[in-house]
Amino acid sequence: MEALKNAFDFSDFPRTDLIIAALAALFLLMFPAFPHSSFAMATMIQFLMFSLYGMGWNTIGGYGGQVDLGKAQYVGIGAFTTSVMLIRWNVPFWVSMPIGMFFAVMWSFIIGYPLFRLKGHYFAIATIATSLVLKDIFEVWDFVGAARGLEISPIKFKPPDFLHLIFKEDIYYYYVILGFFFLGIIYVNWFRRSRLGFQLRSIKDNEDIARSLGINVHWAKIKTYAIATAFVSLVGSFHACYIKNIEPEDTMSLDISILIALMAMLGGAGSLWGPIIGASILIPLKSYLKEWLGAQAGLVGIDLIIYGAIIMLVSAVEPRGIWGIVERVRRRKRR
Amino acid sequence: MALLEVHALHKEFGGLKANEDISFSLEAGELVGLIGPNGAGKTTLFNCIAGLHPVTSGQILFNGHNITKFNAHEVARLGLARTFQVYVASGDLTVLENVMVGCFMRTRSRSRAKSRAEQILKDFKLYNLSDYLLSELTVAAQKRVTMATAVGTDPKMLLLDEVAGGLNPNEIEEIMATIRHIHHDLEITVMLIEHVMELVMNISDRVIVLDSGRKISEGDPNTIARDTNVIKAYLGERYVREHAGELT
Repeated sequence: MEALKNAFDFSDFPRTDLIIAALAALFLLMFPAFPHSSFAMATMIQFLMFSLYGMGWNTIGGYGGQVDLGKAQYVGIGAFTTSVMLIRWNVPFWVSMPIGMFFAVMWSFIIGYPLFRLKGHYFAIATIATSLVLKDIFEVWDFVGAARGLEISPIKFKPPDFLHLIFKEDIYYYYVILGFFFLGIIYVNWFRRSRLGFQLRSIKDNEDIARSLGINVHWAKIKTYAIATAFVSLVGSFHACYIKNIEPEDTMSLDISILIALMAMLGGAGSLWGPIIGASILIPLKSYLKEWLGAQAGLVGIDLIIYGAIIMLVSAVEPRGIWGIVERVRRRKRR
Repeated sequence: MALLEVHALHKEFGGLKANEDISFSLEAGELVGLIGPNGAGKTTLFNCIAGLHPVTSGQILFNGHNITKFNAHEVARLGLARTFQVYVASGDLTVLENVMVGCFMRTRSRSRAKSRAEQILKDFKLYNLSDYLLSELTVAAQKRVTMATAVGTDPKMLLLDEVAGGLNPNEIEEIMATIRHIHHDLEITVMLIEHVMELVMNISDRVIVLDSGRKISEGDPNTIARDTNVIKAYLGERYVREHAGELT
C-alpha cells in the first residue's frame, strides 16, 4: 500500500538528520537501562507526552498555520473519559482511549465548524475561549468529579495491569508512551506528504490560491483539526492513567494549551522534528523551573514569564523556530 | 455550445458598481484577452467567474453547469483554473511542491501527483528549479510556476491575471511562449487579463474591453485597436477629438 510505504519513507531528509534521529531513538529505547533518578524518569515521560501533544498541534498549527491555543480542552476530554470509565465501570484503557478520542473528535467538529470561519488572531482567541468554557463546565459537572476531579485508586488493580494501564513503576509508562511517540512520528511523516498535508501547506501560504486549486479550505482545516485533536486526546487518556489524579484546573488550564503550542513553535512549526526539539528544550526547563526556582525562591509563575518571552523571541527572530534556522543555514550552504 | 457564458453579470461592493451588465461567451479552444484601464473591473470579473466573489446578479455557465453560486474550489474542480496577479510567496513550498498541490486536485496518490508535477515542470522548462522556494525565483519564473500549478489541476479553461506585468521584453517573450504552449499544445481555453498590449494583441483571437465596470467593446485585436471607444477609455476624450482625422 502506497500510504504505508510513504509513512516509513524518510528519504527526503539528509543523512545527518537520519543518523541523529536514529541515535536519539536508540537513546530513548535504552534510557531506562542507564542509572537515573525518578525525577529524570518523570521528566522523560513528560517529554514524550508533550512531544506527542506538539506533533498533534503541529498538523493544524504548523503545517496549516492555524494557531490553536485551546488544545487543553481535548486533553481534558481524553483524560476524563478514561478516568470516568475506569473508575465507574472498570473499562480498560485500550477501550476508553479510542472512545475518548471519538468524543474529542466529535467535539472538535462541533466547535471547529464555526471556529474556522475566523482567521488569525481571532481564531486563536476563540480557541482559548472554548477551552476555558469547557473547563468551567467540567468544574461544575458532578459526573466527572466537578472541581475535585477524579482519582484512580490503584488498590483494586494488580500492577502491572497492562489492560487498564495501571503500573507501580514508571518504566512501564515510559515504554507505553514511547511506543505512541514512535507511532506519532510515523503518522506525521505520512501526513506531511499526503494530499491533506499539501492542502494545509497551501492554505497556510494563501487561502484564495488554495481555493482556486480545488481545495475546500474550511473542510480541510476541520479535518486536520480533528487529527490534531485525536493526538491530544490519546495523550490525555494516558495522562489520566499515569497521574491517576486529575482535576480540570490543571489538566485543562490555559498553561497546558500554551505549552502545547509552544513545543512546536519553538522547535519549528510545520516540520517533522520541530515539536520534538521544542519539547526536549522546554520540558526539562519546565521541570527545572517548577522544582527549584518555584519552590526555593517562591517565584511561582516565573515559568509563564519565560514562555511568554520565548513566544516573542521566536516570532521576532524566526517564526519557523529552531528548525527554521537549521533549514535557512542549509539553503544558504547549498547556494 | 459555448464553454463559458456570462449573462448580465453585476457585482457591487457596497455602493460601488465594479461590474455592470457584463455579457460575453467563449468557445472551447479560444484565446481571449481582457483589457481595460486600471479599475475597470477586470480582476473582479475573474473573481466572480472563479467563485471567489459572490455575484450580485446575473448568471455564469461553464461547460453546461450553472456555476453562479459555486464556491471557488467547486469551480476549480469543474475544470476552470485561474492564476493570481500578486503571488505572495511567503511559504515554504518548493516549486515542485507548489505544482504538486495543483496535481493533488485530481489524485490522492502522492507518487502520481509527483510524477505528473515533474512532467509539467519539464514541459514548462522549469524542472531545474524544482527544489527552489518560490521566493527565491525571479518574478517571471514565479509567474510561470503559478501557471504550471494551475495546469496541474488539469483544467479545460484557464484564467490568467496579468502574467506579464512588470517583466522585461525577454521575459514577456518567454511568457508568451508559455501561454501559446498552454493554448496550442495542451488545448486549454485561455482568457487573460493583460496590460502589456504587445502580448494581448499578438496572441489573442479576440479581445474584450472593460471600462468603469462595463463592457465597451469586443472584437478581434485589429478592430479593437481602432475602436474610438477603446481609445477614449485609454487616452481620454480630448485625444480622440484632436486626432479625429488620424483615427479612421
